[in-house]
Amino acid sequence: MPPKPHRVLLDRVSGYADEAAAYMRRRRVSRLPFARLYYSGGRAGDHAGDSLAGAELFVAAGRLIEVAGKRPRP
Amino acid sequence: MPDAEMSSVEVTPAADAAESALAYLTEMSPDLRGGAILGGDGAVLAASNSPNRWREDAAALLEVADRAGAEPVEQVHIATEQGEVFALRHAGLAAVVVSERFALASLMFFDMRSVLRDIAAGGDGKGLDAA
Repeated sequence: MPPKPHRVLLDRVSGYADEAAAYMRRRRVSRLPFARLYYSGGRAGDHAGDSLAGAELFVAAGRLIEVAGKRPRP
Repeated sequence: MPDAEMSSVEVTPAADAAESALAYLTEMSPDLRGGAILGGDGAVLAASNSPNRWREDAAALLEVADRAGAEPVEQVHIATEQGEVFALRHAGLAAVVVSERFALASLMFFDMRSVLRDIAAGGDGKGLDAA
């Protein structure tokens, strides 16, 4: 007997949700800190944290993160 | 915001629009922790808190970013363990925001660009006509 249509739909949605959750988990685990600069014309460049420019960028970003603090609770 | 710090915020029509824009960005982006909008001269038009700190630290970030390349930077995205920093220059203005980790960069930059474009055009800063 074939499965009921709503079960097929539920299974499919659950499958997509599982895929999305796994993608987000992998993204969180694999994403390392980075500093990326974009220029006019669409050019972009990454700066590693152990380079001079990268280190300065991370320090400057850290100060801004400190100023912003935590998100205020609604 | 303390009175002494309030004095460092520009009071102009653009500043009103910038305040509105910052509130709009905060409302639109659940990941956003805080931010500031700066005029072309680096003056703070609006800030979520401590405008003096935002002015100094945003200027420092943009200066370092400019020094890192051969030309002035247009967008900055720095992701750290503690949060993410986005900065965008557009139409002589600059917006700098800090968000939680893993914020969607493309959406954040889109919203920032929309509000800056709107402020520059004399709008209310909500960027509705730019979307």
